[in-house]
Amino acid sequence: MSLIKQLWIAIITVMAIAFAASTVVSVFSARQYLEQQLQVKNIDNATSLALSLSQMPKDPVMVELQVAAQFDAGHYRFIRIVSPTGETIVEKLFEGSIEGAPEWFVHLIPIVVQPGQALIQDNWKQYGTLTLASQEQYVYKSLWDGTLELLLWFVIGGIGTGIAGTFLLRFITRPLTDVVGQAEAITERRFVLVPEPRTPELKALARGMNDMVTRLKTMFNEESARLETLRKKVNRDAVTGLSSRDYFMSHLREVITGDQFGASGSLVMVRLKDLNELNTVLGRQGADALLKDIGTVLYDSGNGRIGQRAGRVKGAEFAIVCPSHATAEEAGKDIYERLTEKVLPQWQDKVPDLFTVGAVRYTRDQNMGSLLASADEALAKAASKGTNTYFAVDDANAKAAIPAETWRTLLTEAVGGGRLALSFYPVMSGDGKSSLHRESVIRLKTDDAGTLMTAGDFMPMAAQLNLTAPLDLGVVKMAIEYLQKSSGDVAVNLSAETIADFHFRNELAVMLKAYPDVCKRLLFEVPEYGVFRQFDAFRDLARTLKALGCRVGIEYFGQRFAESEKLAELALDYIKVHPSYVRGISENVGNQEFLMGLCKVAHAIGITVVALGVEKKEDLPLLAQLGFDGATGPGIN
Amino acid sequence: MIQIARALLMRWHLKRLRSLFHISPLFALIAFVVSLAATDFDRMLSLAQQQYGAGAAQTVIAWRKLIDESASLSESEKLNKVNAFFNRRILYKTDWEVYNQEDYWATPLEFMGHGAGDCEDFVIAKYMTLLILAVPNERLRLIYVRYKTGNTAPIAHMVLGYYAQPNDEPLILDSLVSSIRPASMRTDLSPVYSFNDTGLWVGGATTSSADPTTRLSRWRDVLDRMHKDGL
Repeated sequence: MSLIKQLWIAIITVMAIAFAASTVVSVFSARQYLEQQLQVKNIDNATSLALSLSQMPKDPVMVELQVAAQFDAGHYRFIRIVSPTGETIVEKLFEGSIEGAPEWFVHLIPIVVQPGQALIQDNWKQYGTLTLASQEQYVYKSLWDGTLELLLWFVIGGIGTGIAGTFLLRFITRPLTDVVGQAEAITERRFVLVPEPRTPELKALARGMNDMVTRLKTMFNEESARLETLRKKVNRDAVTGLSSRDYFMSHLREVITGDQFGASGSLVMVRLKDLNELNTVLGRQGADALLKDIGTVLYDSGNGRIGQRAGRVKGAEFAIVCPSHATAEEAGKDIYERLTEKVLPQWQDKVPDLFTVGAVRYTRDQNMGSLLASADEALAKAASKGTNTYFAVDDANAKAAIPAETWRTLLTEAVGGGRLALSFYPVMSGDGKSSLHRESVIRLKTDDAGTLMTAGDFMPMAAQLNLTAPLDLGVVKMAIEYLQKSSGDVAVNLSAETIADFHFRNELAVMLKAYPDVCKRLLFEVPEYGVFRQFDAFRDLARTLKALGCRVGIEYFGQRFAESEKLAELALDYIKVHPSYVRGISENVGNQEFLMGLCKVAHAIGITVVALGVEKKEDLPLLAQLGFDGATGPGIN
Repeated sequence: MIQIARALLMRWHLKRLRSLFHISPLFALIAFVVSLAATDFDRMLSLAQQQYGAGAAQTVIAWRKLIDESASLSESEKLNKVNAFFNRRILYKTDWEVYNQEDYWATPLEFMGHGAGDCEDFVIAKYMTLLILAVPNERLRLIYVRYKTGNTAPIAHMVLGYYAQPNDEPLILDSLVSSIRPASMRTDLSPVYSFNDTGLWVGGATTSSADPTTRLSRWRDVLDRMHKDGL
């Protein structure tokens, strides 16, 4: 029972006792007083009436009139004159009744007043005995009214005290509310700190909990840092800081085959002179410095371009995957210009023929071997042109880019309805036997024939045209409709651009409130780069969605691992680990160690871990062994 | 210690109960025994000795003797004895002389103790003594009268009336006249109002402490003080 409730019960009890006691005291003292007054009145009135009757001639009419006058003008229950021999001479009785007090009240406190008696003299003889009783019913009414008034005051007093007490208690226990809030946050896996209250008892409690949270966070941070180091060691080239060959190839494959990026993009290759020759000319350290310079330039080329990534694929060969450049020419030229501007001036005198750049286009699901072969061809063509030059091959057969106006029409129609569709992919449990949920992916029907475009094809354009919010709302709506018809849970992807949109958040909350049953079966996920780009917006969104009963997760997790300590406050339900780490896991011992650590940390704060991009069912036992709770990808159906 | 008022009360209650429920005579017997034991003569005697001295004690002893001797007499003889006892033994003095007050209603003990009193003191003492001697209360009346003889100015006076039958004319016991006479022979008196203690000792209020209004009435006050004297 809450403290406030207990306070009210205490107040009601005290007030009831006080009321009962004061009612008893006041009613009984009033009754005694009223009884005395009535008794005196009875005696005095009897005496004075008897006295005046004694003085009168005893004409029966006169006696009758005298008594009647007294009775009618006064307040009597009865007046009676009885002769010495016992006959009644005159009798007046009040026969009405006064309404006011309930019967039980009258029985509870009877008022006993004896009638007044006096003797009437007829000269020396006795004329009779006068007996009269005053009306006492009004006494009950006045006692009853007094009791009711007292009750009213006690009720008012009780309510007043209660309200004042409630406020006082709220004031006193406000620090407690913070601590309770923290405890609740911890049970919800949000690890937050609270200010220490001034109340000593609560201070100790809050300090203890804060210490625990701090220790947990420290542990989490240390573990994260360790994992980050491990991740870099496994997936990065030590000299340049770029992705290692394995990691780059895994990423390239994901970009080419995955849903996240457009159906076509560019691959740029940079080839230096033979590494042995460089070592001879520059010395080992000099060669390393050159590689580092080139690495920095290539790394920076990806700033602000989602999905663009550079890797060192051979000793003196680099590759850059550029999903967002419109042509190979554009991508190749960008890299060429950067190198010419930032690297060439410093090294040209020592190494005049520094690099060649080749750029080609790739299309979705293209064979990796043929892609790399065509890239080699482009490099060869560039080398034949001369030194420090580039050569780009754009596919002449490529579909003409859809103009922006057409996109606008297409996407606006999609928002209006009809052109959007959802594809569902199963997410299986770690052992691959049961389904965790289905992941829904948005598709756009570009023509009446039903050709479907994947999210990677049109979402970047939708982001440019500021249409992701209505598209995402459309997806949520379809997911709700789907859930109403079928069983199981469904995960919905929200765009990175959308989560910062305040109106979108409100509309989403309103929409979800209408379907409280469905909310429990709905999962929302946001790509990792979107989460860290607008962290506060994501936190608010997560809070809103979780309050409605939905689950919240991060997809493509793992590339911004250094910032993951922020996640401890989010109460995330799950993360989906980036396919780059999962792909080829059986051969990559380093990534196995990294993912095992990641699962352990995530489990420590109650987060479920799902592997993305699983290509082979045979990987499932290994993934489960590493600690994954679920898996999805081309190999899972 | 059971006091006379309580006995009166008991009598009243019994009368009421008897009339209401026809209770057996056993209760009447109990009431009689209780009323005999009602007066605490020893207390009165010791109070008289302490407060008023040997003379007063002598008077109380004589009064006690009078009661003992008269118990078995007829009612008219009781009247004569009691009337003569007080009229002979006690001096008529105004309240100014005895109590230095305009008007003071003395209890029988105070009255006998001072050996003096005015008309109502005589009446009260006689009334109480006759009650102790088992003269029914309803036959006795304290009567306010106007007293006028010859050419003197009329004075306010009080006498005790005895009604042998409810409709009879009363016999008058007067402190100014030594013998008892029928009212018709007392042309010097004209009655104004009469009372006894009927209707006063009811409702459970037998002592002053229970009811502060007692003190406000001279008659109830003197009855109350009598209880404390032992009557």
